[in-house]
Amino acid sequence: MANILQAGHEECKYFLGSFGYYLGLMPTSKTAPLVVIILAVLAAGGIAIFMSRQGSSANDAADASSAVGQTARVRGAADAKISLVEYGDYQCPTCGQYHPILQELLARYPGKVKLEFHHFPLVQMHSNAMAAAIAAESAGDQGKFWEMHDLLFEHQRQWGDLRNPSPNPEAVFLQFALQLGLDSNKFMQSMRSPETRDRVLADVRRGNPIVKGTPTFVLDGQVLPNLPNLEWFVDYVERQLGTTASKSEK
Amino acid sequence: MRTRGIILLLLAFLGLVDTLYLGIKRGKPVPCSITTGCEEVLNSEFSTVGGIPISWFGFAFYLSVFSAAAFAVFSEDDRLLRWTFWPALAGFLISIGLVGVQAFILHAYCQYCLGSAILTTLIFFVSPKPSFGRNLPDN
Repeated sequence: MANILQAGHEECKYFLGSFGYYLGLMPTSKTAPLVVIILAVLAAGGIAIFMSRQGSSANDAADASSAVGQTARVRGAADAKISLVEYGDYQCPTCGQYHPILQELLARYPGKVKLEFHHFPLVQMHSNAMAAAIAAESAGDQGKFWEMHDLLFEHQRQWGDLRNPSPNPEAVFLQFALQLGLDSNKFMQSMRSPETRDRVLADVRRGNPIVKGTPTFVLDGQVLPNLPNLEWFVDYVERQLGTTASKSEK
Repeated sequence: MRTRGIILLLLAFLGLVDTLYLGIKRGKPVPCSITTGCEEVLNSEFSTVGGIPISWFGFAFYLSVFSAAAFAVFSEDDRLLRWTFWPALAGFLISIGLVGVQAFILHAYCQYCLGSAILTTLIFFVSPKPSFGRNLPDN
């Protein structure tokens, strides 16, 4: 009788298929594999999260909003009272719209405001943004970072919609480099150099904890939750300069 | 079978970590310390199928191998494990294709993708081969 029952049980297991068997008729001792699977997925997820946070630790968060980063390009007087940090993408239209606004702000307050640009190419949306950031860094190697920065933003449409590999955005960047009087061989060497790319990626790592979109502005150490207009920036600068002036008067 | 199961458990676990990492880092810069070109590979048109990142297909593959191996090791039930050969074969062939894409089309390599290709290859070789004709009636 026991043998018949045992045979029936085995047949039942066979016909219900493995999943039905394990989920439906699973004896308690058979729960072990399911527990192991769940624990393994949780552990793997934990390790993956830990790995993904490497390099974007609290130090980097502090670094992201700090005035001077290792690869920062600063425009304006180094000792300017007001520090504006931009995390930008050369292919992002909003960053392009902010370019003349920031130029106007710097022009209005020479020596009072400085702009620090960090790369944050949104590579998933903007196929040429990484190459553009590298082009700016490559021009920077020959002392013409801001000149290339301006050209990239001013002629964003000329290269922004080009698809790699043909037509190649690099050809446009090389044309810009020649326009700026750069050594084309050195420029292309920098463009190809992993070290140049690493500098861009270092910026991205630094920005990762705070950047939710581009541009992201950090004004005097505070991440701006919204994108202000020129009037707001002007108002802020006036208030800061006014406060500083009244403090120094006292 | 138990030894194979334990080896497959370890390999599939590493695969789970690898694919989950790529899933978490999707759209973010991935540090490429061994190779150069992670960004190109992970953001290329070959990195998704039907809008779903390939890393999630890899996750499903490693999860199924891990599950099959877990049942073999912890319940001494190797029925699922005997079927892993076929997905492992598919994974192995797809990995060859993806490494080919990196080498000949993108000319860029992603260490996490190469790691996954190595894991899939090892899983393919370790997974039990089907014994064709074993159950044929004797004549």
